[in-house]
Amino acid sequence: MMSHRKKPSNAHGSSQSTSNAGPTATQEEEDDATFTQPSTMQVQKGLEKLTPAQVDQKTAEVVQYFLVKDQKKIPIRRADLVKHVVKEYRNIYPEIMKRAARTFDQVFGLKMVEIDPKNHLYILINKLEPVTGASPITNPTNPKLGLLFVILSVIFMKGGVVRESVVWKILKNLGVDIGEKHEEFGDSKKVVIEEFVRQRYLEYVRIPHTEPVEHQFRWGQRAEVEVSKPNILLFMGALHGQEPQSWSQQYQEAHRAPNSSQSGTSSQR
Amino acid sequence: MQHKEDSPGTRREIRSKYRELILSVQKNREDMLSASNNKLTEVLEKANKLFQDVRQPREAALDAQLLVVTTDLGNEKASQLSAEGASFDSVAFTEHLLSYMGLKRLTNGEDGQQNGAAFGYLPQDAWQKVAQRAENCFRAAPSFHYMMGSFHAEPPSPKQRIERQRKAPTKEVKRMMPTQLKKMGDSHQEATEKEVERILGYLKKYYQDDPTSPIFYYEFVIDPNSFSRTVENIFHTSFLIRDGLARMYLNSDRLPCIAPVEEGEVEAGGSSIRKQCIVSISPKLWKEIKEAYDIRNELIQPE
Repeated sequence: MMSHRKKPSNAHGSSQSTSNAGPTATQEEEDDATFTQPSTMQVQKGLEKLTPAQVDQKTAEVVQYFLVKDQKKIPIRRADLVKHVVKEYRNIYPEIMKRAARTFDQVFGLKMVEIDPKNHLYILINKLEPVTGASPITNPTNPKLGLLFVILSVIFMKGGVVRESVVWKILKNLGVDIGEKHEEFGDSKKVVIEEFVRQRYLEYVRIPHTEPVEHQFRWGQRAEVEVSKPNILLFMGALHGQEPQSWSQQYQEAHRAPNSSQSGTSSQR
Repeated sequence: MQHKEDSPGTRREIRSKYRELILSVQKNREDMLSASNNKLTEVLEKANKLFQDVRQPREAALDAQLLVVTTDLGNEKASQLSAEGASFDSVAFTEHLLSYMGLKRLTNGEDGQQNGAAFGYLPQDAWQKVAQRAENCFRAAPSFHYMMGSFHAEPPSPKQRIERQRKAPTKEVKRMMPTQLKKMGDSHQEATEKEVERILGYLKKYYQDDPTSPIFYYEFVIDPNSFSRTVENIFHTSFLIRDGLARMYLNSDRLPCIAPVEEGEVEAGGSSIRKQCIVSISPKLWKEIKEAYDIRNELIQPE
């Protein structure tokens, strides 16, 4: 049963036609809008027309696409996936995604997570829980991770929302001045409000009624599923020489039962 | 009295006072947020007083704006009050973190209260250290990269194509070659030209000795005693070809031969049909040809 989807507000006519004019943003929305989730019946019928080898091949392509896109930690759009990889196999899309998720799980130890059900964005995260305490293995890590960690920790410890000025001040005290080029991070402000935001580690939102304009930071959709709050508290505790439980509110927040946004089960949509 | 209150001057004054208050709230945000003072309340009290004189919509609008700004601040101030648990002090946090990162403080900071990396310097791997410690807070998928094997999958043909293009004769390009090789002044360009002339002389001489018997190219250029001189001979001979003073052809046995171009046959520039080829030689090949042709003496005498 085809569900009727809302027609996108596009001046170029019906969502079924391929419009060759128009900005890319609307084009992607269009592509996504033209993609309707096939029914189980349709998937069954679709599978009958294909050999197992063909389905396996397409699954492998999806897996590879994900892995390469994940290198930069940019979330994968369903629209892109369908347009560039799945293509004519879109009628069995749910089956391919199911198999891809299984491959990630069993072969790579990764979880495919839909971090944005509305815009259909996916990421890959590690199936394994991180080691508590310092890792015994020291391999070279991207120092940007340290920067991100500081910001995420501050946001978490301060209740989930922080004004940007607070973040900039703390970074400045750590030797990262957004007004100057940093030896390791270059344009640090750009890294924070562009790269980390694009990766969905952070959200950078305007605060209304501020003059001059100010923004606030929150955890992004990726951080919600990828970052371990208990481990942040452990690190804080170690750093301050305090018990993690001493920050009772944050402790509660870190150990509360995972809700739907945190449960990271791979989506078939 | 009524008259004075309604004067444009008074109205302006009230609006200006409102703007002042709004500005002060925006500028001194951090200060007003602090739990240690009542500055926010003071602003509200001032606003209340001002409001009593408000008569026109313009002033009321400013009052509304001030209300928005102060409520915002009040909201934030309220959220800072935590009923239970330790507070998170960002100053303490940065201090501890800097110690962890291995900050080396400058010893002559007389103001011991000052903090921040500005009063010291961090070791090069400071952020790396934090990153490594932070890693275990992330359930990140490891970045996927191909493990490249030892064999390079790219075909070598593009390289050959480039070489061919470089050989394409434009007088300028060729003229560059000798100067690049010798990396010295004009004297060496002249030396090359001289050498080319000399070789042409040999070629003509051998040809004239017996015009019917073709001269084998390799026999001509190879110096059985010196590989490097062989290479130089090949190099200089190529100029003769380029300038149309000599020609190479394949004989009936498909072996390359060289002959001078007759006077009168010489056509300047590229009006003749041009063919290009690449001659390559290696020490191994040089030895093989030497043996195959049984070359004992060099046809081109060294200077």
